[in-house]
Amino acid sequence: MIVASHLTRRFGARTAVEDLTFEITTSQIVAVVGPNGAGKTTTLRMLAGLLQPTHGDVIVDGVALTPASARAVSRRIGFLTETPALWDRLTVRENLGVYAGLYSVARPTAAVDRVLNLLDLANRASSRTAELSRGLRQKVALARALLHQPSILLLDEPTSGLDPEVTRDVRRLFDELRAAGTTLVVSTHNLDEAERLADRIAVLHGRLLAFDRPAALRQRLTGGRTIVRVCGDAGSFLPIARAIDPDAAADGSSLTIRVADADRDISSLVRTLVEAGADIVEVRPHTPPLEEAYLHLLKHPLRPDTAGPHA
Amino acid sequence: MTRLRVMLDKELLDVMRNRAALFPVVLVTLVTVALPFVIAIGIPAATGERLGEDADLIRVATASTSTAAGHDVAPDARVQAFLFEQFLLLFLMAPMTGAMTLAAHSVVGEKLARTLEPLLATPLRTSELLAAKMLGALLPTLAISAAGLVMYVAGVAALAEPGVLAIVINARSIAMVALVGPGAALVALQLTVLVSSRVNDPRTAQQFGVLLIVPLVGLMVAQFTSMLALTARALTAVGLALGAIWIVLLAVSATVFDREAVLTRWR
Repeated sequence: MIVASHLTRRFGARTAVEDLTFEITTSQIVAVVGPNGAGKTTTLRMLAGLLQPTHGDVIVDGVALTPASARAVSRRIGFLTETPALWDRLTVRENLGVYAGLYSVARPTAAVDRVLNLLDLANRASSRTAELSRGLRQKVALARALLHQPSILLLDEPTSGLDPEVTRDVRRLFDELRAAGTTLVVSTHNLDEAERLADRIAVLHGRLLAFDRPAALRQRLTGGRTIVRVCGDAGSFLPIARAIDPDAAADGSSLTIRVADADRDISSLVRTLVEAGADIVEVRPHTPPLEEAYLHLLKHPLRPDTAGPHA
Repeated sequence: MTRLRVMLDKELLDVMRNRAALFPVVLVTLVTVALPFVIAIGIPAATGERLGEDADLIRVATASTSTAAGHDVAPDARVQAFLFEQFLLLFLMAPMTGAMTLAAHSVVGEKLARTLEPLLATPLRTSELLAAKMLGALLPTLAISAAGLVMYVAGVAALAEPGVLAIVINARSIAMVALVGPGAALVALQLTVLVSSRVNDPRTAQQFGVLLIVPLVGLMVAQFTSMLALTARALTAVGLALGAIWIVLLAVSATVFDREAVLTRWR
């Protein structure tokens, strides 16, 4: 479990991240999304104990992260850096073997074999990493982060450079790790990936703009809008719709109406429209892509008290 | 200690895979081994002028305290012994100059390759990292120098005048090559690693490390001109002092190593 309280990091006069407060419970995947320079990497580094926050605290599995505790806490954390960061003249096995030694893994050879098999790298174990493609290098870096079986994985752009098939395998691996009790914090630019992977999404732009389930983020943006598709032109039913929602809109055969309580209001809306002569073809909640919700959040940040910092 | 060993093994493996980096060390060592034989044996043989016939050389060799024990040998042998002993000083510099490039590149190289960040996320201590970097540069070059020294001694035994080897191998020369040489290399390389951890360019680190060669050159000149003749005990003290300086320097290196700067100022 990770608890971050009022995390702020300044570099000279520049504030990279400010007042981040969130809680990530065990066995969750949290995707950290945000534009370039939003503070994603800085946040991951603070959670890993690599950077000290200017203000605020991080607690990892009940242990406050301080310079004194960072080394002990590092054993619980697997950290995937933005770049694979491998030693080019060493083979895949040798690269992993060094880290197995640094983490004092009990049976290093077996541990290396385990992650090689897990990432389907066994046939490249003897290759020097300089000879590997970018995607394979990324897999080796991922294997390195998993070597010591950490309870928390902090992953900076884990699927960067991977082809779609491998990306799918890696996502599957993340699901398995989550099921096995690992907590994953994944920084990504890929909103589709964030939505597929994550239990919670943290939208970061210097500040924490939102921290919630993907569906809930969309819900916040749409505010409970419903689409009603009718036979013919929906415009003729717009006055009725506007009696319920003054901002209701018609587009072709579709009406978009915001309702306060879906369970209560949609049946009433349908009844009213049918009584007015509408032949209703479909009623469904409006679900914009997450990207739309994300871009909306960047332009219209939520108030801090509604960002939803608790997982 | 285990993590230091793990990092050191990695450094040595990396150097072994980059043998071209050791070529300058081998070259310096071969020159260090060959040069005294060219001067003390080759040139006299080629010109037909015996060393023992040069009054200046005899005077300097006789004045040298280290060869005083060899006054009863022939003049040629006395001058050869003087030359071979003085040229031993080159073995102080060979490991240092050769390893300087490796050491200068050590931390900067990791920074440039962006390989430091995952390392810093492990339980590895900064002092372990920096000691491994220094030893990773020193040990291969020390091994090459030791091999050169064996060749040097074997050459003196085989090619020099009778009695020369017994004069050259004395407590002073042993203290010099076994303590002062490695001690000076430890200090120079740790200084280089320290600078390497603070700068953006390996050349800067190398230039700082070379600073320590200056006093050694001074020592060599002073020995040659008989201005300074350190006893075996004094040389032992110098060697131990260098070891102590290295420990202090290692602690300073670990203190000034700015982990955050490494992560945030390298793009």
